Amino acid sequence: MNHFPWLTIIVLFPISAGLVIPFFTFYRKQNYSMVYFRYYNWISFINFHWRLGIDGFSIGLILLTGFITTLATLAAWPVTRNPRLFYFLMLAMYSGQIGLFASQDILLFFFMWELELLPVYLLLAMWGGKRRLYAATKFILYTAAGSLFILIGGLIMAFYNSNESTFDFQLLINKTYPLELEIIVYLSFLIAYAVKLPIIPFHTWLPDTHGEAHYTYGLIRINMELLPHAHSFFAPWLVILGAIQIVYAALTSLSQRNLKRRIAYSSVSHMGFVLIGIGSITNLGLNGAILQMISHGLIGASLFFLAGISYDRTRTLVLDQMGGIGTSMPKIFTLFSSCSMASLALPGMSGFIAELMIFLGVIDNPNYSFLFKIIIIIIQGIGIILTPIYLLSMLRQMFYGYKFSNTLTPYLMDAGPREIFILICLFFPIISIGIYPNFVLSIWNSKVNFLLSNNFF
Amino acid sequence: MELIFQNVWFVPLFPFLASILLGIGLFFFPNSIKKFRRLSSFISIMFLNIAMLLSFHFFWQQITGSPIHRYLWSWVLYKNFVLEIGYLLDPLTSIMLVLVTTVAVMVMIYSDSYMFYDEGYIKFFFCYLSLFTASMLGLVLSPNLIQVYIFWELVGMCSYLLIGFWFTRPSAANACQKAFVTNRIGDFGLLLGILGFYWITGSFDFQQLSKRFFELLSYNQINLVFATFCALFLFLGPIAKSAQFPLHIWLPDAMEGPTPISALIHAATMVAAGAITALLGATIALAQKDLKKGLAYSTMSQLGYMMLALGIGSYKAGLFHLITHAYSKALLFLGSGSVIHSMEPIVGYHPNKSQNMIFMGGLRQYMPITAITFLFGTLSLCGIPPFACFWSKDEILVNSWLHFPILGSIAFFTAGLTAFYMFRIYFLTFEGDFRGHFFDDVKKLSSISIWGSLEFNKEQFKLDKKFTLYPKEANNIMLFPLIFLTIPTIFIGFIGVLFDENTINVDFLSYWLTLSINSFNYSNSEKVLEFLFNAIPSIIIAFFGILIAFYLYGPNLFSLNKENKKLPFQSKIDVILKSFSTSIYNWSYYRAYIDSFYYSFFFKGLRFLIKIVSFIDRWIIDGIINGIGIVSFFGGESLKYIEGGRISSYLFFLIFCMFLFFLYSYII
Repeated sequence: MNHFPWLTIIVLFPISAGLVIPFFTFYRKQNYSMVYFRYYNWISFINFHWRLGIDGFSIGLILLTGFITTLATLAAWPVTRNPRLFYFLMLAMYSGQIGLFASQDILLFFFMWELELLPVYLLLAMWGGKRRLYAATKFILYTAAGSLFILIGGLIMAFYNSNESTFDFQLLINKTYPLELEIIVYLSFLIAYAVKLPIIPFHTWLPDTHGEAHYTYGLIRINMELLPHAHSFFAPWLVILGAIQIVYAALTSLSQRNLKRRIAYSSVSHMGFVLIGIGSITNLGLNGAILQMISHGLIGASLFFLAGISYDRTRTLVLDQMGGIGTSMPKIFTLFSSCSMASLALPGMSGFIAELMIFLGVIDNPNYSFLFKIIIIIIQGIGIILTPIYLLSMLRQMFYGYKFSNTLTPYLMDAGPREIFILICLFFPIISIGIYPNFVLSIWNSKVNFLLSNNFF
Repeated sequence: MELIFQNVWFVPLFPFLASILLGIGLFFFPNSIKKFRRLSSFISIMFLNIAMLLSFHFFWQQITGSPIHRYLWSWVLYKNFVLEIGYLLDPLTSIMLVLVTTVAVMVMIYSDSYMFYDEGYIKFFFCYLSLFTASMLGLVLSPNLIQVYIFWELVGMCSYLLIGFWFTRPSAANACQKAFVTNRIGDFGLLLGILGFYWITGSFDFQQLSKRFFELLSYNQINLVFATFCALFLFLGPIAKSAQFPLHIWLPDAMEGPTPISALIHAATMVAAGAITALLGATIALAQKDLKKGLAYSTMSQLGYMMLALGIGSYKAGLFHLITHAYSKALLFLGSGSVIHSMEPIVGYHPNKSQNMIFMGGLRQYMPITAITFLFGTLSLCGIPPFACFWSKDEILVNSWLHFPILGSIAFFTAGLTAFYMFRIYFLTFEGDFRGHFFDDVKKLSSISIWGSLEFNKEQFKLDKKFTLYPKEANNIMLFPLIFLTIPTIFIGFIGVLFDENTINVDFLSYWLTLSINSFNYSNSEKVLEFLFNAIPSIIIAFFGILIAFYLYGPNLFSLNKENKKLPFQSKIDVILKSFSTSIYNWSYYRAYIDSFYYSFFFKGLRFLIKIVSFIDRWIIDGIINGIGIVSFFGGESLKYIEGGRISSYLFFLIFCMFLFFLYSYII
């Protein structure tokens, strides 16, 4: 009884079931516009509905979340301290994320946003690293402050110029606002996402928490779809911000001595590409941005997991104290190298095609001036040079070199079957997206076309 | 027949499959794979052999005049944007296919024996090798720029893996990272160039791109400055990969890898240069103007010659030199690998010892076949008539002399220099007496000046005396590739000269090339005699270089006078070249000071930048947030003390404030 992992299996079942659900409905309808799941009146007094739906934007992220949460549960197998609470919080976080991606009502969106924060806070505070309370407090302060702006923006949008409140996304699409108001609303949403994404200068919580973040979804869903005028106003600024973020975070990552912080900053750096893709307002760029979100979700998750399992062996996260562990752990070495290669956008893996599309998207945009494009592309290119510097020097410090005898553990175990299974599950989609990207691009391509042709051209 | 042509991609597929098979097998079943090491290396050689036979087949087809084949699949598809992958098979491609596969097969057979005692990593090695070959083949076959970039990066990754093969050596770890980052800088340029050309022409495909480009050029719709910059950026890629002047720093360090790898990487740099020649067909109009500047710097290496040939528009000569040089260089590297292999048991396994020419000498007696093949390679590289490099190098020299006399004179000077340094290596290694046993005379040996004053750490070379050991000839498996490679080294040069004088008065290679590149048509039809007549100065200068080398390092000078243990040659060099040679030695030892320049300039600059950014991140951005937190914390704490719960203090505070208010109103 004690040896059989009942709890894990119970936890795994609903998640994997949730992973399957989007497939069914999505492919049954073969309709790339919104697929409604559920529609209930919740609080009829203010027209607040429980309204869930899936379309091309959200399906990829829902699948990704399900996939990663399932694997994260598997990865959390060795958690022995209070596992029931742990899995409860994990599942709660998962429902919050799925709800966020599926909600079609701006108040519900806010609700789900808040719902997700609490489990993350508790998970951090109870199972985090050494400075877990500091990290958790920082996280909750940051994100709670950010979510306030969502509420403000959402309420402005709902109540502007109408007697009744409208929270429904589909109705809000048709609403028009004066440009100044639209910009204010846009900014308030942007601040919220900037915290969660994270965009500099709101990123400093992430290295402490090592969280996974792919909330650019909201940027597309609300800012692009509902506030197109303000978006075309802000797009160049987003591109500039993204370009700065790529280089800035890459440089910061290079100065980190802590393995997890280095990976976290690399993840911040990669989010810059998403921003540029969204700011490019082209078919290619936007497709690339969504692909980059998914690809980075996979790569970042595998890198964090790898950092975790190498921490389990070496009991240290400081890069200077590691070194020479490549000989005793060849499998972890191989996997770590492959994931780093994926992260530095090696062709044949998903990161490359996403970044290439974002590059092309910037070039394709007819509105930006010649000089602007050149500068942005060169800055992006510098980011591409910096990425291998920090990733490869991380590998070098960890695995290369000769092993000295004064380290803490004399015998380092190589990766076990569970860990290898998780990593191969993560790695397989990275490779397959990289080799044939059309497979996933077709999911949201028509939706992107629809969005762009309706709102921007 | 059509079926086979549609499946040209089998050529890169076979080595790729081999590497995937071995990689997966090694990852999951390391022990059982290691048990069958011979079998798995046999599999990878087998697969590569199939690829080689296929490419010979295609080569033959192209000679006999089959049409150019082109096949594309759509990869990323949009409304108005199609990214395709596929292959392009033309005469040029087929030559390169044959070149890559033959060299790779030879290297693989060779390294099967060379790496045999490497601790079980031979399979990893073969896995990497196959992947490397596959990506080179893919690079050769690619029909558009994006595919070039993809395989370009993959080649870079493979060289990273291979250079870092002995990853426990810290120097190897540094070298592989350096190689990757430097290559990435080149790739950055390549990517920018590709994007720029896409911007101009809206296409990645070679043929469409050049067509559009010339169309636009004829209508004068191109911003020429921008296009020039794009072409320059495009060249940053091949400059990095073929280790040209500003980005050459990774290649010397790349010697950290196993020796067969050096051969393959050098062949790869050739291939990279070759791929770019295809590019050049499209951008030749621009490149002709721009390359000259870069050329002035890259005079010392053979690649400089190729680039020179491309720069003066002698497309064919550059390509020809690429092929001949690839074979000769592969031969030389494999030969040196064989020497190192036989030196290792005697002088020790440290690269400073086993690759040190001070300890060699007289090896011709012990390993004659290696010595002869090495001599062939050396002669070829020096440009001595019947050997391969003579024909190609001479063509470049003559052409450059005709077009740009200044560059031509530099090239002539370099030809002499090449002959000098190649024969210096040959004499030091194979002629004279074997010096590997003079470890007891470390003091004396360390004062032997090869390039002026060489300071050695004495402890480093302190070894047991093993007087009975002598270097042995390598085994047959290692000798086979050496002997095999001498065949192209000797004979491939004849392709370039007049092949069939009676029918078409155009030599063979340029005949093919005119088939594949119509935009640039360089048919150089000299008679054999005229050709040889033109070649006389270059031969003379090469002989002159050899003579100097012989005078300084020749066998009679290096035979030690055993009676009085005097080192006669030492004084000779000292007298002639003391100060001069010391400065040259320092120059070449510190790699022309470029590494240290890069170190002090870029590395420290980057460090400084990182410090600034991390300071901003840590203390300003994060500091503001933490500051807000701390302020609110202390605010709350201080408020807590005010709210002590004593009625009297409340009353006191109330009365005090009321008093202040009264005072305030009274004053006003």
